[in-house]
Amino acid sequence: MRSFGGRWAPYLYVAPIVIIAGVLLYFSIGFAVYASLTDWNGLTRMEFIGLANYAELFQDRTFYIALGNTVKFMIATVTLQAVLGLLIAVIAKERIPGSNFFKALFFAPIAMAPAIIATVFKYMLEANYGALNETLRALGLLGANETIQWLGADLGVWSISAINVFSWMGFSMMVYFAGLMAIPDELYEAAELDGAGWWRRLFSITIPSLRGTTSVLITLGIVGSLKTFDSVWLTTQGGPGVSTHFLSTFLYQARLDREAGYSSAIGIVILVVAFALAVVQMRLSNREN
Amino acid sequence: MKRKRLLAWGAMYGVLGILAIMWTYPIVVAIQKSFAVGGVGNYTAVLNHDQFNYWSAIGNSFLMAGGSTVVIVVISCLGGYAFSRMRFPGRVFLYRALLACLAVPVASVVTPLFFSINSLGLRDSYFGVIIPLVAFNVMTMLLLTKNHFDGIPTELVEAATIDGARPFGILWRIFLPLSGPLLANVSVLSFVYSWNEYLLPNLLISSPEKYPVTQAIALLQFERMSQEQIGQLYAGLILMTIPSVIVYLFSQRYLQSGLTAGAVKS
Repeated sequence: MRSFGGRWAPYLYVAPIVIIAGVLLYFSIGFAVYASLTDWNGLTRMEFIGLANYAELFQDRTFYIALGNTVKFMIATVTLQAVLGLLIAVIAKERIPGSNFFKALFFAPIAMAPAIIATVFKYMLEANYGALNETLRALGLLGANETIQWLGADLGVWSISAINVFSWMGFSMMVYFAGLMAIPDELYEAAELDGAGWWRRLFSITIPSLRGTTSVLITLGIVGSLKTFDSVWLTTQGGPGVSTHFLSTFLYQARLDREAGYSSAIGIVILVVAFALAVVQMRLSNREN
Repeated sequence: MKRKRLLAWGAMYGVLGILAIMWTYPIVVAIQKSFAVGGVGNYTAVLNHDQFNYWSAIGNSFLMAGGSTVVIVVISCLGGYAFSRMRFPGRVFLYRALLACLAVPVASVVTPLFFSINSLGLRDSYFGVIIPLVAFNVMTMLLLTKNHFDGIPTELVEAATIDGARPFGILWRIFLPLSGPLLANVSVLSFVYSWNEYLLPNLLISSPEKYPVTQAIALLQFERMSQEQIGQLYAGLILMTIPSVIVYLFSQRYLQSGLTAGAVKS
């Protein structure tokens, strides 16, 4: 194939994506590694201080709070999104009237900006005049002067998890629905002839056949947890105190506090965790195939 | 048998109904609160706000999302074509190195990113947001494009090569015409992802007149808010969701197939 550029032609095709995206991202990662070894304040001062940022990080109580919250969020959202998504996908496959309407309803939040959803939830979950507590009072489930601190230190992480489930459950549902459509009907027919009931078919055909789908959703959920920022920053901003910080917001706060070197160290920890989890997941799914 | 079937239907509608109430509750609250205290006046107040300019926020989001979508579609088609159909040293390495970026959270590199964009003199400019929007969203699209191109039969390419077509001609006259739905998927996904992005503009844009919708929400929020201001905030949120709803209604099919394809094939 002789053409413009000869044997260099392929590189011309990949050059735009490599230069705009690859170089920017890899430069950023490299720069973050370097900055994490300095006491950079984001502007001028930048002195090499070795691993001091990391030593400080692993002593920092806020780091463990942020890590704990990220893990809680990860477990809660991955589990709830998978269970609810599968449940609705299984129901939708029965083709009961109106199932398309429900699918569209649950999928719709994906198109809305997480920043807007988070803001709606922030005011809805406010303890004194927020709509949720008002509704609970109207239903008699909460006393007239009682409040539930949905975005407080105890419940904050779970409320933020709920926001994520609201946004992304429809995605799990769609992916499971696509997976369900790929299971051959003969499997179900054979099981029915053997007298297997609905639950039996769910646990011995549907769920095992969707193992690959589930593992993809788990990977995406884990990577997504490390990426979650908007729904924390725009609701609690990590507060009250530091009780609802995630790794991403902890990093952003450090950056705002002009601790660019320290925030870079947090970024490197996030990256290492993200890559390690991605590699583990790839190994696991390769073994299965 | 018929009774059992009715019971099953009842259970299924029960589950769907409860979840539907939970999913519509925040939307109903937002709509109801947007009319609270000031009624329709909340909407006119937001559209004539001192600090918050609705049309400029929408326009900024369109510029950033539209600009990054165009760049993403062009460079992921070029790259996807080369990775799919050309053989060259470093191909596998480069492709893997690019896809590895899928795991990079925006938050983890905000500090160096700010430094890079600032050094390029692009801080507080549309272009300065479009570049990182492209960088963080293009890898998913590269994956989708390459997988799609892999599925185009080699016979078509061979026939065209014999007729004297060059690589770019093959991409332009054979691959792209066979990729209508793929291009729709990639465009819709890129647009929605970029439109919804909050952290990148928040990091890089400082002038309120350049705020996209996600960032402009802040202009409607204050330290201590009156019920009236909260009503206006909700009205603003509803108005800012309208473009997303329109995009969703017109492209639901592509959004669904794009998102699920990305998940199933990754």
